[in-house]
Amino acid sequence: MVELSVEVAGLRLRNPVVVASGVLGVSVGLMKRAEDAGAGAVTSKTVTLNPREGYPNPVVYELDYGLVNSMGLPNPGAEEMGRILREARRVLGIPVIASIGASTPDEALRIAEALEGFDALELNASCPHVKGLGADLMSDPDAVYGIVSALKSSGYRVFLKLSPHGDYLAVARKAYSAGVDGFTAINTAKAMVIDVYARKPVLGGVVGGLSGRAIHPIAVRVVYELHREFPEVPVIGTGGVEGWVEAVELILAGASAVGVGTALKRGFEVIGEILGGIERYLRDEGFPSVESIVGLAHK
Amino acid sequence: MGYTRARVAEVLDLAPSVKMYILELSRPFGSQPGQYVMVWLPGVGEFPVSVAGEKGGALRLVVARKGRATGYMHERVAEGGYVFVRGPLGRGFRLDARKALLVGGGYGAAPLLYLAERLSGAGATVHAVLGFRSREHALLVEDFRRVAGEVWVATEDGSEGFKGTAVDLFERVFPGGGYDAVYTCGKELMMEKVVRRAVEAGVRVQASLERIIKCGVGVCGACALEPLGLRVCSDGPVFDGETLLSLEDFGRYWRDHSGRRVPLPP
Ligand SMILES: Cc1cc2nc3c(=O)[nH]c(=O)nc-3n(C[C@H](O)[C@H](O)[C@H](O)COP(=O)(O)OP(=O)(O)OC[C@H]3O[C@@H](n4cnc5c(N)ncnc54)[C@H](O)[C@@H]3O)c2cc1C
Ligand SMILES: Cc1cc2nc3c(=O)[nH]c(=O)nc-3n(C[C@H](O)[C@H](O)[C@H](O)COP(=O)(O)O)c2cc1C
Ligand code: FES
Repeated sequence: MVELSVEVAGLRLRNPVVVASGVLGVSVGLMKRAEDAGAGAVTSKTVTLNPREGYPNPVVYELDYGLVNSMGLPNPGAEEMGRILREARRVLGIPVIASIGASTPDEALRIAEALEGFDALELNASCPHVKGLGADLMSDPDAVYGIVSALKSSGYRVFLKLSPHGDYLAVARKAYSAGVDGFTAINTAKAMVIDVYARKPVLGGVVGGLSGRAIHPIAVRVVYELHREFPEVPVIGTGGVEGWVEAVELILAGASAVGVGTALKRGFEVIGEILGGIERYLRDEGFPSVESIVGLAHK
Repeated sequence: MGYTRARVAEVLDLAPSVKMYILELSRPFGSQPGQYVMVWLPGVGEFPVSVAGEKGGALRLVVARKGRATGYMHERVAEGGYVFVRGPLGRGFRLDARKALLVGGGYGAAPLLYLAERLSGAGATVHAVLGFRSREHALLVEDFRRVAGEVWVATEDGSEGFKGTAVDLFERVFPGGGYDAVYTCGKELMMEKVVRRAVEAGVRVQASLERIIKCGVGVCGACALEPLGLRVCSDGPVFDGETLLSLEDFGRYWRDHSGRRVPLPP
């Protein structure tokens, strides 16, 4: 028997597959389906202090090798998300990570207080298509420092979600000095689609974020670099995990757990497929546990 | 899957603020009754529309004018113009009925017409109950008459057929009919009554739901139904009666653009 359970920043997960933020939106029912399908943890949709409607349609464009989205962080706001997370806490057995979008320490604290019922916070510093939030934080490491410090001094367990853009290592260093518990890497990569017959940008938000297969090697690189620089800080490796091979690759690069987003388009069964594959790989290659291969590519 | 550019071959006025568009597709969609497409008007917006028919590379859509994008379509998209479509999306109706009763209200009649054509083509007996506000708002009735054995029309003001709602008329027709399947599409409160009645009678029933659709491919959660976490865009829009009655949301809640659950709009 190989051991699939992992410890990530003090969270015990029955296995390393985490549903990435934004993909199950705001539905307790969908989080439950993910748990029933085998997920080790789920992440909520990024929640902001006030409700947001997001961008007008079209908000997604499907490619053979990924997906471009400009959802624009639609979410019902912190108060309503608090109700949803309390319900999730009642219904789910697995840990729930609450993703938050804030641009000041005060805002982040107010969101966190409104939420409760989560096991860790994930600060989204990396949504590529929303002004003032998300990616803009990546260009302001001091702001990240301020928010992470404030959340840490209020006793929260905090992950920082990084984008593949800019000097993400500088941002990670700041978060590290503020006491961050873990990193999630990566969010989507800034992208755009133009329809050649309409001769217009497709997405309602014009600029979107690329996810899925296309960004996997980028995620591997970012995770590898984070693990090299901060070997003791756990990383939830996210980006293009479509099957067990990509999951194992990210773990070898240094991820303690893996996020799955776009692949869920194919159905919840992908979670089981990924887990089955990881288990087979460990058994066939003679490893006792997931934890025994974390960062092995660095050795 | 990107968009298919489709030429508008024909536009027909069906009723005040309801038009039918016949689109020429460059590749067949192979759609099933109950599936929908996303219609993109570049620079304007994108919205879901049920397939009202597909034959020989022509896609038939019935669009009611609601707001911005459908309003633009009504005013600006004419014969010879172009729209962009992605699809077909979602899961449609099961097509295994022998004797079916279709219950439609307003533009909900559109996907049921496609269903009626397919079922009768497969040798099933098809009857239809169609409800509208008034004679002026009645649509597709003649098209139904071509493929269905019986077509009963209800209008709320009695200006055509039975005076009352589609549900009132359904209540009269259904008990004597010996149907093995009921299919419904229209206002959710109408469908809720039809579904409840059919399930009580032990007759298989399917209904097509409407919710705000954002991604259409099951990744964003905008259209989720609680507590089962079913996605209207990809697990539906067609669901069976037992499933619908086990939901908290059916006939009660809907999600606004932010994802918040709010009371179903009237
Ligand atoms: C599966 C499905 C099938 C449908 N089939 C038909 C059909 O055959 N004929 C028809 O006339 N209408 C149909 N509708 C309803 C139609 O999609 C809405 O009336 C339309 O989106 C309104 O767009 P608007 O921009 O004019 O409205 P506005 O009120 O200006 O904007 C609302 C925006 O909300 C979004 N939206 C997404 N789904 C809906 C929805 N269900 N209702 C309202 N807004 C929505 C769109 O982005 C839309 O642009 C269907 C809806 C669904 C979910
Ligand atoms: C439709 C969609 C919505 C997303 N929404 C969010 C979000 O709200 N917050 C966030 O931090 N990341 C969001 N993401 C990014 C994912 O969490 C993930 O980081 C990214 O998609 C890469 O993983 P993947 O290739 O497995 O999808 C979203 C991605 C998609 C496809
Ligand atoms: S519209 Fe995105 S999941 Fe249904």
